[in-house]
Amino acid sequence: MTEHASSSSSSDPLEAPEAAAISSYNQGLTPLHPPQKSLIRIRMIIRSLVLLALALVAEIALWVQLGASPGLVLIPASLLAFLQILVLPHRIYRRWGYDMGDEQLRVLRGFLWRTDTIVPFNRIQHIDVAQGPLQRLFGLSTLIVHTAGTHNSIVTLPGLATVDAEAMRETIKSHIRQDMI
Amino acid sequence: MTEVSASPAPDNSAPFQHLHLHPLSIILKSAGTLGQNLVAILVLHFSMFDQNFLYTGLATAVLIALVVGVTALIWSRFTYQVTAREIRIRSGLLNRNNRSIPFDRIQDVSLEQKLISRLLGLATVALETGSGGGEDGQLDALSRIDAESLRDTIRDYKAGLEASDGEAPTSAVADDRPPLFAIDNRRLLIAGLFNFSFVLLAVLGAIAQNLDFLLPDDFFDPRRWLDALPEAETIDRLGSWVRFGGALAAILSLVAVGLISGIVRTFVRDYGFRLDRVDSGQPGFRRRRGLFTLTDMVMPIHRVQAAVLQTGPVRERYGWYHLKFISLAGDSGGETDHSVAPCATLPEIDPILNQCAIRRPAPDLDFQPVSPAFWWRDAILISLLLAAIALGTGFLVHRGFYALILLALPIARIQFLNWRHHQYALTESQLFVRSGWWRRRCTMLLRRKIQTVDVSQSPLDHPLNLATVTIGIAGGSAVRPLMIRDIDFNRATTLRDALIGRQNHP
Repeated sequence: MTEHASSSSSSDPLEAPEAAAISSYNQGLTPLHPPQKSLIRIRMIIRSLVLLALALVAEIALWVQLGASPGLVLIPASLLAFLQILVLPHRIYRRWGYDMGDEQLRVLRGFLWRTDTIVPFNRIQHIDVAQGPLQRLFGLSTLIVHTAGTHNSIVTLPGLATVDAEAMRETIKSHIRQDMI
Repeated sequence: MTEVSASPAPDNSAPFQHLHLHPLSIILKSAGTLGQNLVAILVLHFSMFDQNFLYTGLATAVLIALVVGVTALIWSRFTYQVTAREIRIRSGLLNRNNRSIPFDRIQDVSLEQKLISRLLGLATVALETGSGGGEDGQLDALSRIDAESLRDTIRDYKAGLEASDGEAPTSAVADDRPPLFAIDNRRLLIAGLFNFSFVLLAVLGAIAQNLDFLLPDDFFDPRRWLDALPEAETIDRLGSWVRFGGALAAILSLVAVGLISGIVRTFVRDYGFRLDRVDSGQPGFRRRRGLFTLTDMVMPIHRVQAAVLQTGPVRERYGWYHLKFISLAGDSGGETDHSVAPCATLPEIDPILNQCAIRRPAPDLDFQPVSPAFWWRDAILISLLLAAIALGTGFLVHRGFYALILLALPIARIQFLNWRHHQYALTESQLFVRSGWWRRRCTMLLRRKIQTVDVSQSPLDHPLNLATVTIGIAGGSAVRPLMIRDIDFNRATTLRDALIGRQNHP
């Protein structure tokens, strides 16, 4: 399975240098499929629009009610939106990583709240490959594995190329054994 | 198993008849629904009907007819069918629901008898499949004999799977064998004393709140009570000893309420506690307990994921421990762990643990402490918070509030003791995690039962390079999972690799 992981990261020649740059942030694990970064950016744009709309309402309310100087809310909000759209997607993206071991799946995510999860294949009860409308646009899928554990029984890995996600599903499927609990 | 495959497999509904629940269960359920509506009737009696008994009687009659009618209708549409390898339940008035539960998927079968069911000779059968959330299949209620035979059918099916030579399994439960663990009334009393709780106070409060329409309007108005009190001078005239005595009596009565509620709760839940080993079918534990609500639960041994030994500072001194098992499904009464020995000594606990190949930590086992940051970091944070509150309130409200800062000392002390009691140890087949100073828990986990392992770091962990290891087990509390908190990051990753690496070669 390690061959698969390496092949997915080196299949695209454009991807290779970026992967090397990322490796220091995600401990050299396989990075997510690059379009995931654009997907995060689109989500951030949507979030920023909502934020700006709310800020505009607050701005007008403050201006009418209290006569606050214009830009009191809108300027920090647009600054935040700017950061969210331009800076955050790359930073979020590079902190994600996964590794398909021979017998286990490892998922690393987050920076401030960092979590590193390992799920042995033979503990997995069932697997989903999910795809939302935005993900379909970029050819991305989310791999969701379910274990019998009460804590962390659902481990999700977003931002995989659909082909990769399906290949991973097949690999894991062959390891699922009956009645391991 | 061989006889099963002989019969035509899929459409075998013909030889297995559709069975109804016991007719008396209509009465049982109606009574439950009526009980819930009693308050509504009372409210109506006092409000809309102007305490006119004729109207109230009429409304009651209509309600009873309605409830019993609907319940009977639901009863008539609820059938179950026990086939050779599964149980099918059909239910629903308008939306018909057809559920089939294969015997293979049933984790444990428990029989429950509430007080009224016991009087009527009924029992509720609950089937747990271990899927997350709530009941999977509940037959409420069958006659006690039917319920037991259903349980035996399921168990015999599993026994048939185990005994591949086709030998007819017997469903005899060895009642004559001495139990693994049983509890007598004296022991119950001891357990109750340690179960000190203020639940009774809370219950009294809740009753007072729900029935407040029976109380005078201004019952909760403090002015009424101030008026009712004798003048403050009367109290002032009393000697200081009398006042001291009054305060002491108040505290003592609180303690008494706490003790009594603990004892009552323990008696109600654990009266007649008895744990047996069952060998017919899959080997497992059978637990019976309860004063009013009698529960009878069977749990297969191989489903036991971990054992938890719980105690407290005082209890440990006298050598009493509470043994619980973590299994797939939760225990009755909303508890996440299955209580198997509520108040036992270590020599009594060892034979139970031996049944499922779990061993207590050896006395010379080297437990690893966690980082001291576990206590001093929290102590600093809490002190800062308290200081902020004390300064704020002291400055704005009253100077006495500055004293709040003193609370930081006991809190830091408790956190320090908690740190001393948070340890872990790894052996060939097990992981031991101790935690808590007041509520001491020692979790004994079989390493091959580990589902997932997380290493996580919060923003406060980064500068100290600490990490928390969270271990996913099947069963147990989702809110408070098994954690080893605040250990060095490198130690955390080594520990994780050790935990995962072992179980791949069981």
